[in-house]
Amino acid sequence: MANTNENRKALLISPELCIGCRGCQTACKNWNQLSSEKTKNSGTYQNPPDLAPTAYNIIRYSEVPSESNPVRWLFVSRRCMHCGDAGCMKICPAPGALYKTKEGAVAADRDKCIGCKLCVAGCPFNVPRYDSSNKISKCTLCSDRIAEGLSPACAQTCPTGAIRFGDRNELLASAKKAGYSKVYGEADLTGLGTLYAFKDAPKIYGMDENPAIPESVIFWHNVLKPLSVIGLGGAVAGALLHYAVIGPHKDDEEVKKS
Amino acid sequence: MSEKTLVKATTAEIINHWILAVSCILLIITGYGFVFKMEGIYALFGSNTTMKWVHNWTGVIFTFSLAGTLFNYLGEALDLSRDDWNWIKLGGGYLSKKHVQVPPMGKINTGQKLYYLAILAGGFGIAVSGLAIWLLPGMRTLIQVSHLVHNLAFVLFVVAVPAHIYLGTLANPGLLRIMIDGTVPLEVAKKRYPKWMKELGI
Repeated sequence: MANTNENRKALLISPELCIGCRGCQTACKNWNQLSSEKTKNSGTYQNPPDLAPTAYNIIRYSEVPSESNPVRWLFVSRRCMHCGDAGCMKICPAPGALYKTKEGAVAADRDKCIGCKLCVAGCPFNVPRYDSSNKISKCTLCSDRIAEGLSPACAQTCPTGAIRFGDRNELLASAKKAGYSKVYGEADLTGLGTLYAFKDAPKIYGMDENPAIPESVIFWHNVLKPLSVIGLGGAVAGALLHYAVIGPHKDDEEVKKS
Repeated sequence: MSEKTLVKATTAEIINHWILAVSCILLIITGYGFVFKMEGIYALFGSNTTMKWVHNWTGVIFTFSLAGTLFNYLGEALDLSRDDWNWIKLGGGYLSKKHVQVPPMGKINTGQKLYYLAILAGGFGIAVSGLAIWLLPGMRTLIQVSHLVHNLAFVLFVVAVPAHIYLGTLANPGLLRIMIDGTVPLEVAKKRYPKWMKELGI
């Protein structure tokens, strides 16, 4: 489904180009009208500390020294990954609450969200957050902007090209051309909408090597869901078959006869 | 026609059983609505959030009702003996067109005991996991486990409940009456519940 979407748009993030200015965080809040929250200094520049209902994207500041660079500092811009095969959509029980835009983004309709939090369980990347009225609150790839031909606010404001927006296929091709033989998210979960050009192993940047929908959700989707239909159908069919072939107990009649 | 009857179920037990039955079926219907995102079922309730509200609060009613059954059935259900094992081996007499003499049963038979224990365990699991999803903050692992338990129990319910309804109605004419006015004709009772009759001294 997602793979064949020729219109699929994506973000390509290059941590090595990021200067950690946090312009993307500010632009995101600005466009999506998200308030800021009071946070505490915990000894890192990372602020806010994590994605939040009012923080759709953050820059992760991790110090990961390497042999050649004892002060290597990695800035990783994080947000919804806009999975092709999205675990949140798979598990969501509310019709229309989470949906794919025609550009392949995973967007949310607050009015249809029932606040069950199952998407938190289904997301391979721990992205969905809930606001104070118990509704999902997350990055939509600025669906409202891209529908009008604009770039998402984060990409628009990024001064270094660390966050680039465009046709997914073109972004992949340009990353390959720039020498990245592997692009994070090219094929995972039938392709992510947030791609990363990592120079080192994804783990160094704090990302799962092989992101996947949680096993319990896969088991539910592939086994329990069909079983709930087969089970009900089987029980009803079994009852009718028993009635037709063997028939009811006749305690009452037997008592009357005797 | 006047027949001697025996009171098998009290009014409180009958009312509680119907509360349990109606809430359970409502939960199953809304449950299917959730599992398969069935817009038609959501439409019955008006909006997405209304259906969730109905499901959650019906769940609360179901849970209290299930707790109420503890006083009615748990003692009987745990009273398992050799006769129960032999009853299982004969399939409760349900596997043959001919009359099968099953071991003498008490107030409830082996099948009912096992059904009750399964519903009690499944009901406990589905209630606790449901409350966890509903009320606890969104912790990933907790929601994953709760979601799995909730759905495993759901499968148990959608199989066991129709079987229970069939066995209580079509498969055993005259049984439904116990859940309506609570009575059984004395002669039928002697045949069905010999051990219970013995306890009562009839």
